[in-house]
Amino acid sequence: MANFEFRLPDIGEGVSEGEIVEWLVAVGDVVAEDDPMVEVMTDKATVTIGAPRAGTIHDLRFGVGAVALVGQVIVVIDQDGTAEPVEAKSPEGKKDEGPAATAVGDIKDGLPGSNYFESGANGGAKGGSGGPAPAKAPKAASSASASRPIDFFQAKPLATPATRKLARDLGVDLRRVAPSGPSGRTTRDDVRGFAEGAPTAPHPSPAASTRPAAPIAVDDASRETRTPFVGIRRKIAQRMQTTKNTAAHFTFVEECHCDPLMALRGRLKPAAEEAGVKLSYLPFIVKAVVGALKKHPVLNTALDESSNELVYRNYFHIGIAAATPAGLMVPVVRDADQRSILDIAREIDRLGEGARAGTLSADELSGSTFTITSLGRQGGLFATPILNHPEVGILGVHQMKEKPVVRDGQIVIGNVMLLSLSFDHRIVDGHVGAAFAYDIIRYLEEPDRLFLEMV
Amino acid sequence: MQTEHQVVPIRTPDNDSDGVTSVIRPDGSLNPETDPKLPLETVLDLYRSMVRTRVIDTQLVRLQRQGRIGFHIGSLGEEACILGSAAAMRPNDWIMPCYREFGALLYRGFPLQAYLDNMYGNADDIVMGRQMPDHYTGKAYRFGSVSSPIGTQITQAVGIAWAARYKGNDEVVSVYFGEGATSSNEFHTGLNFAGVMKAPVIFLCRNNRWAISVPSEKQTASVTFAEKGVAYGIPGVRVDGNDILATWKVVRECVEKSAAGAGPFLIEMLTYRVGGHSTSDDPRAYRVQDEVEQWRRTDPIQRMRTHLEGRGAWDEARDEAYKQEVETELKACITAAENKPKPELGTMFDDVFQHRPWHLEEQCEALLAGPRPKSEH
Amino acid sequence: MPQMNLVQAINSALASEMRADPDVVVLGEDVGKVGGVFRVTQGLYDEFGEDRVIDTPLAEGGIIGAALGMALYGLRPVPEIQFSDFIFPAFDQIVSEVAKYRYRSGGEYTAPMVIRTPVGGGIRGGHYHSQSPESLFIHTAGLKVVCPSNPYDAKGLLLSAIRDDDPVMFFEPKRVYRAVKMEVPEEEYTLPIGKAKVVREGEDVTVIAWGAMLFEALASAEEIGGEGVRAEVIDLRTLWPVDIDTIVESVKKTGRVVIVHEAPKACGFGAELLSMVVEKCFVHLEAPPVRVTGWDTPFPYTLEMEYLPLQHRITPALLETARYVP
Repeated sequence: MANFEFRLPDIGEGVSEGEIVEWLVAVGDVVAEDDPMVEVMTDKATVTIGAPRAGTIHDLRFGVGAVALVGQVIVVIDQDGTAEPVEAKSPEGKKDEGPAATAVGDIKDGLPGSNYFESGANGGAKGGSGGPAPAKAPKAASSASASRPIDFFQAKPLATPATRKLARDLGVDLRRVAPSGPSGRTTRDDVRGFAEGAPTAPHPSPAASTRPAAPIAVDDASRETRTPFVGIRRKIAQRMQTTKNTAAHFTFVEECHCDPLMALRGRLKPAAEEAGVKLSYLPFIVKAVVGALKKHPVLNTALDESSNELVYRNYFHIGIAAATPAGLMVPVVRDADQRSILDIAREIDRLGEGARAGTLSADELSGSTFTITSLGRQGGLFATPILNHPEVGILGVHQMKEKPVVRDGQIVIGNVMLLSLSFDHRIVDGHVGAAFAYDIIRYLEEPDRLFLEMV
Repeated sequence: MQTEHQVVPIRTPDNDSDGVTSVIRPDGSLNPETDPKLPLETVLDLYRSMVRTRVIDTQLVRLQRQGRIGFHIGSLGEEACILGSAAAMRPNDWIMPCYREFGALLYRGFPLQAYLDNMYGNADDIVMGRQMPDHYTGKAYRFGSVSSPIGTQITQAVGIAWAARYKGNDEVVSVYFGEGATSSNEFHTGLNFAGVMKAPVIFLCRNNRWAISVPSEKQTASVTFAEKGVAYGIPGVRVDGNDILATWKVVRECVEKSAAGAGPFLIEMLTYRVGGHSTSDDPRAYRVQDEVEQWRRTDPIQRMRTHLEGRGAWDEARDEAYKQEVETELKACITAAENKPKPELGTMFDDVFQHRPWHLEEQCEALLAGPRPKSEH
Repeated sequence: MPQMNLVQAINSALASEMRADPDVVVLGEDVGKVGGVFRVTQGLYDEFGEDRVIDTPLAEGGIIGAALGMALYGLRPVPEIQFSDFIFPAFDQIVSEVAKYRYRSGGEYTAPMVIRTPVGGGIRGGHYHSQSPESLFIHTAGLKVVCPSNPYDAKGLLLSAIRDDDPVMFFEPKRVYRAVKMEVPEEEYTLPIGKAKVVREGEDVTVIAWGAMLFEALASAEEIGGEGVRAEVIDLRTLWPVDIDTIVESVKKTGRVVIVHEAPKACGFGAELLSMVVEKCFVHLEAPPVRVTGWDTPFPYTLEMEYLPLQHRITPALLETARYVP
């Protein structure tokens, strides 16, 4: 038992696969138990997995960028330095003594591969007592997966055999050609156009949605740098594409007058600081959203397309989109309806730091029922946020600005914040979305109302 | 169409006169009424052919038990009906075998070495190792090719006989099958076609009582197998199949009549399969040893030997010497057969058609270029 | 040159070969006095007599077994199975004996015989007068399988088949029997077994068909010609050994192939043809190869025109295949 085979565990709730982002060890390295070994990226988070056993790294079964299924062996650790080959050894069976009548078709020796059928391995044959146990099924083709080349774009381009041949003949790497054909196929014309340097077709078809977008054509390779499109970035791309191709987005923009909210925050800020919390507007917005969601439960649903059911979530997990060095992440404030504003503020701080440091667990990065995205200082006039699949609504919050506003027939300076909300029109009708938006605005323009509904 | 010696056609429980022709009496003397009165040298020749067949049979079973050949399907106890009928066929006549008649093939002069090469499926095997052992062929000896499915040779025999007559050739076709085959489509169709076409066919039913494990009583509700000819307008004849002289006589008479235009005959040869169905079979699972012992007492070789010794034409010393002679020849053939290579790989693709079409050329190239199996049996 | 339909052309071939070669005999159910239920052997009994045109008892296994015996002896029998739906009682003889005799006898014996049998539907024959069992015989090593579509080919191919030293299954499309007339020479001529014919040339898509379906394929090819799609139509004529060169040459040109046959789809000959096309023309394929076939059901009576892969089903398949963006 020198070799320990480490299988990719389920590192999130129901994660089925993980992408190897980086190996922190190499074959031959000596590792202590729990030494950082590999970074694995699931569709929920990138996690560092430590060595489950002390020993010497014997085999790395997946290359960087490759995707391993949960349960597949990703690394083999030689625990005591006596690594032996992985193939199963079959103990030598006893040979039959002397000749015996052989019926036609009576195969006396086991058939190759018959050891796959463990229980029946000895059935019928004489074998005798205590015959050797059948060898276990051979290990999965390890060398094949270990030597799997890094495929930056993972998915293979779709093309007919004839087009593939044309691409080979013209020296065109099909993965670099943007497809324009039906079902996301790269067509013969695409290949010819690419080879002739013509602009590549611009529009991937809808059905190509689940595939990552094709890379752009090379113009001057010497002045270009290519980096692996892996990890969070690729996950983001895939999720965005999925969302865009399933939900019927529509966006609603309205302004919100924030002077009362500013005043309220100003009054509460010192108290919050005493509690060690830096109070931003975001916790109020979270509360406003929760209040509006309670009035419009359809905005807190998700569409289960596999069963054609609309799932009403009777809990309020609010995703807070956060820009991180690795890319966009959406940590989740769970049960926001049951938390105080102070509590929410604290949680947002904690999650934001964790997201930037990359230390959040998969659970902390998944499960939101509605998402808020702070568009910040460079949020522009308005935006068209993309839903966080499978949610049906998202709120984009723009920076609060001083603007001329008309109040009681006078133009005065007021603090105005624009809200850009996107909805899934399959589920949310226009007037419902609008009503939801105005409820949020009302909470924010009259923040006292939040106290009326405080639990 | 009746013949004077045939007794059947119908035998019922009320009328159990079995009408079975026999010649050799238990004391070795011959029934003068049925004795074909063959020259002594012919009688000795018939006897030796049976002994030779049995020596070979016995040795082949041994080889199979040692794992040196894969299979043998023998004729232990049935030598008289096989050799007697084969000897009764004229040189120009055809023999369509079942699969128990290697003795008949050898009787026709087929080389023993060629037979052993077939048993080993080696490069010199006439059929190039394409069939199991005992699936021989011998066109030069007017002997058909052995097929495993039951009864298929019966309708073919009718076609051969019809063709021979159409070509104006004086040739009769004999076709062997066990009593089990009388249940097959081909038996009924073949007899019916032959009856309608008046084809010169001698249907030789070896009633050896067992079709693998099924006794003859379970094969038919008819009292005899010979009477099955009646429905097709074919005379049915019964003969003591453990009496080589009786078999010779009955078959020869039918051949002559058939050649003269009398059409087909069905001959039921009563015998007993002393061994298993083949080396793959152990008959102790389904029949009692007493029955076997009872039939051993009517052993065709012993009966003939009693007759010959009574005539002073044979004795123990000559018997031993002859067996020794056969064994020596046989062992030389075995050694030679074992030392011959397997058929060349490419021969697998020959004779599917007269010429290899493109797809077989392609597959043959793939075979020759490809990997070889890990085990060679 | 006389006009002949398929029945007359086959009859002409049989008669001319029987005159030329006394070893040629015909046998089967009703082939004698009445000249066969489709009258294909009409007149042969009167000309050649009952020894060469044999009315047999009603047992297909006996017909083929006896014919095999004749062939082993050296004759060249041409047995007829009245409908290919009735061939199964003879299946053992054909598969285990006729097809194997040369091989299992090491070439000592040969079985030069032609098993003629009407095939296919569209004649209101219901299940037992309409089936197309050709793939069962293609699958059986040792048989050649021929299915002419028209009178001229039928005569030339039948004469070749009778002279061939291997057993040949000769499927006659009964829907064509009297539906097509063309000039057929009185005198003998042969067409090679194993050669297909490009009946219509085209650049855009290859259609492979045989027997009665050839005409449906041609009709579809004409129909889509009006939409600017040029279909190349191959009449296989010999199903086995198939003329792979003609198929490969055409598919390499068009990159697209549609295979049409009456037999059910699963394990029909189209499956084999499609595999060959993929094996041999893979890099030339510009569209998925398509099969237009009978359904995987027993052959129906009332709805037979819905079962058969006729023009109405071939045309859209051709268009879709021709227009597939490569």
